[in-house]
Amino acid sequence: MTDPSPIAPADGLPEPGPAARQPARSTSEIVTRFLAANFTDALPYILVPVLFILSVIFIPGYFSKLSIISLLILASLLGLASLGQTITIIAGGIDLSIPAVIGLSDIIVTQLYYKHWPLPVIFLAIAALAIFIGTVSAMSSVLLHVHSLITSFGMSLVVSGVALEWSNGAVNGAVPGWLTSSVSAIGHTGPIPIPAIIIVWAVASVLAVAFLRLTRVGRETYALGANPVAARLAIVRSTWTLVVAFCISALCAAMVGVFFAGYSGIPDPTVGEPYFFLTITAVLIGGTSLLGGRGGYQRTVMGALIVAELTTLLVGVGFSASFQELALGILVIALTSTYGRELKVAAKI
Amino acid sequence: MEGLSRSFGETRALNSATLRVRPSEIHSLVGENGSGKSTLIKILSGVLRPDSGTLVWEGEARQLGSPRSAQGMGIATVFQETLIVPEMTVRDNIYLGTDGLFRSGHRKGDEIAGARQALSDLGMDGLDLDRPMWTLSLAERQLTTVARAIIRPWRLLVLDEATSALDAQQRDRLFDYLRLARSQGRSVLFTSHRMDEVLGLADWITVLRQGATVATMGASEASRGGILGHMSGREAHADPAVAEPGPRRGGAGQQSPQRPVLRVAELTLRAASKPISVEVRAGEILGLAGLEGQGQVGFVECLCGLRRPVDGQVLALEDNGETHVVRSYRGANRLGIRYVPRDRRYEGLFGPLSVFDNFAITLWGDLSRLGLLRRQQARKRFADFAESSRLVSASPSRTISILSGGNQQKVLLGRWIAMRPRVLVVNDPLRGVDHNTKEELYGLFRRLAADGVAIIFLSTEIAELLTLTDQIAVFHEGSLVAMLPTEMSSDTDVVAAMFGADKHDGSADD
Repeated sequence: MTDPSPIAPADGLPEPGPAARQPARSTSEIVTRFLAANFTDALPYILVPVLFILSVIFIPGYFSKLSIISLLILASLLGLASLGQTITIIAGGIDLSIPAVIGLSDIIVTQLYYKHWPLPVIFLAIAALAIFIGTVSAMSSVLLHVHSLITSFGMSLVVSGVALEWSNGAVNGAVPGWLTSSVSAIGHTGPIPIPAIIIVWAVASVLAVAFLRLTRVGRETYALGANPVAARLAIVRSTWTLVVAFCISALCAAMVGVFFAGYSGIPDPTVGEPYFFLTITAVLIGGTSLLGGRGGYQRTVMGALIVAELTTLLVGVGFSASFQELALGILVIALTSTYGRELKVAAKI
Repeated sequence: MEGLSRSFGETRALNSATLRVRPSEIHSLVGENGSGKSTLIKILSGVLRPDSGTLVWEGEARQLGSPRSAQGMGIATVFQETLIVPEMTVRDNIYLGTDGLFRSGHRKGDEIAGARQALSDLGMDGLDLDRPMWTLSLAERQLTTVARAIIRPWRLLVLDEATSALDAQQRDRLFDYLRLARSQGRSVLFTSHRMDEVLGLADWITVLRQGATVATMGASEASRGGILGHMSGREAHADPAVAEPGPRRGGAGQQSPQRPVLRVAELTLRAASKPISVEVRAGEILGLAGLEGQGQVGFVECLCGLRRPVDGQVLALEDNGETHVVRSYRGANRLGIRYVPRDRRYEGLFGPLSVFDNFAITLWGDLSRLGLLRRQQARKRFADFAESSRLVSASPSRTISILSGGNQQKVLLGRWIAMRPRVLVVNDPLRGVDHNTKEELYGLFRRLAADGVAIIFLSTEIAELLTLTDQIAVFHEGSLVAMLPTEMSSDTDVVAAMFGADKHDGSADD
């Protein structure tokens, strides 16, 4: 009854740390893993030229300045709309109000310019509205402890309601000629024979990458998305970071709305609708994870290019719109599953 | 019914532990935190499977594949965590898991009668069965989980810390029920952090230490001191000097008394607990000890502003004589009180980010100009830190998840050390850290203390506290029950205080 069982050495260490296990891996295994991880990283960068070459092969006469510029305009619109989305997703959120903000901004430009408001005033008004929208989405998410998926969706309903009401019956609108030219394939930016939107996208891309890498709030965006609990304990400015992310997102969407107005010249509150899923598609294909804390805008640039190229390619060879969606869907699943593998390796250790 | 005996062998948590419970017996399982009690109970209830070892039930070797098969054999378990569904009613919670695929396995009338009976056995006759669970007090919830266990026919009832939330009257009622069950030939296995319960209720006592059974004794031959001695691994009357587990720090604070940097004034953690007043000096390492859930974690959270105490204040004392009250986590940080949380993965690490980013995230507040980072300076601080802490990392730009636990912990510590803390509050920082890294981190803490940082060090390992700290504050039931100078204390003293058997400052606990 009082006989203790054979007792193991009392000093036996209960938990060998992971460090003790690590060296057991063979070198070849490490090399394989390294290559695998970097291959998935590089995949979007490989797909962009591959899809382009496929287009050149399959679409007769595709290799021309005009079609390349058309492609880049398409990618610019999507890329700009996805810029803010990338940042909100890295911050661990998501912005569902982008299409609505695009629509509202389109209405405001066409209506107010038609009524002869001065352009700077119109742009300032749009920017102020975008900042208001982004702030409300982010703050309500923080204060009500609800995911921004919900708050931005609510915001989307409000904004598109306002846009529809405003545009109700309005068929007349006007935009300045330079705005139309900025999204036209034959447009010029000053002496440069490239439409302005492409240059705007290029500059915005550099700024976005710099923002995420080189600014304090950019680094905090990653921390917040990676682990909100740890972020709070590491005194990351969570609220401010989320507000900045959603304001950038709304500002980008508003900018895209302005360009869309130049595209068509008439008020259309539903113009942004396809961007509901397209922005998320571009972000995901690029390799930014919906889990937050991983990815970057340089990846979304590739994602936007891939989406634009794939759409052009499929249209060019005569596939229907429904088939385009199907192809995009498959691409998203195929690519994100390879990114997922990379994650698992990290999680294992 | 024959004698029941079971022996298990599981690496780590359990190391060839043996336990024998006979019919008509109340058996108590005791041991320090992490001694393997909960693991053993989880094996008994079919939640975990042993790596080796056998379970003999009524003379027959059995395999427990699942909690359901344990229940089928007549083993009913109440776990330490109060497992309830808050939105469901008391009755549904009691009958949770008994239903078949097609709704109810029992008729409503039977359920009500059964639930009434079980609750009345436990002294809760008046409880409305249709109340949602979340409206109940913690004690009522805990008793409901006991009721859930006893509505099924059982022959062995396993209670893992099932009395922690109960008041004396509820506890006595539960014990009466257990004694009644014993007289009917049934057996009870229970764990408790209260030594008086163990001695008052149990017929037999099994002591676990480091996953192994170190003693089994009849209650009549057991004494408080004897049990504590077995738990800590020393004879109760052993010379404290012999008990010293390792080299103790010299204690910069003892040579020249330094200025206090943190004052805890009449801090009350729980409504019923005694107020706590402590002063921590620069360069001092204050250890915090206590069994699970005795208030030491709440204390730490109050210190760094994460939790509002019921009453009292935490004051940070500046060098210039100014005194500031800690009101929020951010406020505490502004005052130089830095907190290293317990759960590395969920509270500390940014898994996908690089080693450098994990380190530097706290620095950007100081090291940025107009929002732009000054990376060079951050890199320099990282290099300094990596060298002084002997951080082993392939490259600072690799993701932190590939580092070992010990190296991850170094980075998390470095995050705050680079901010030059006045007070460093660490919550069990060396869990799951390998031996060598532990030694390195001890060195790191000592150097910090020598530089004048006050360190408040919560640990579940007594040996660690004895190695590193100047004083050990021991918590029991939400109160600080003993302040032990490490120099003059053995782990038996600490364990005794943890169980509320305080003999140092004579404050009466029981």
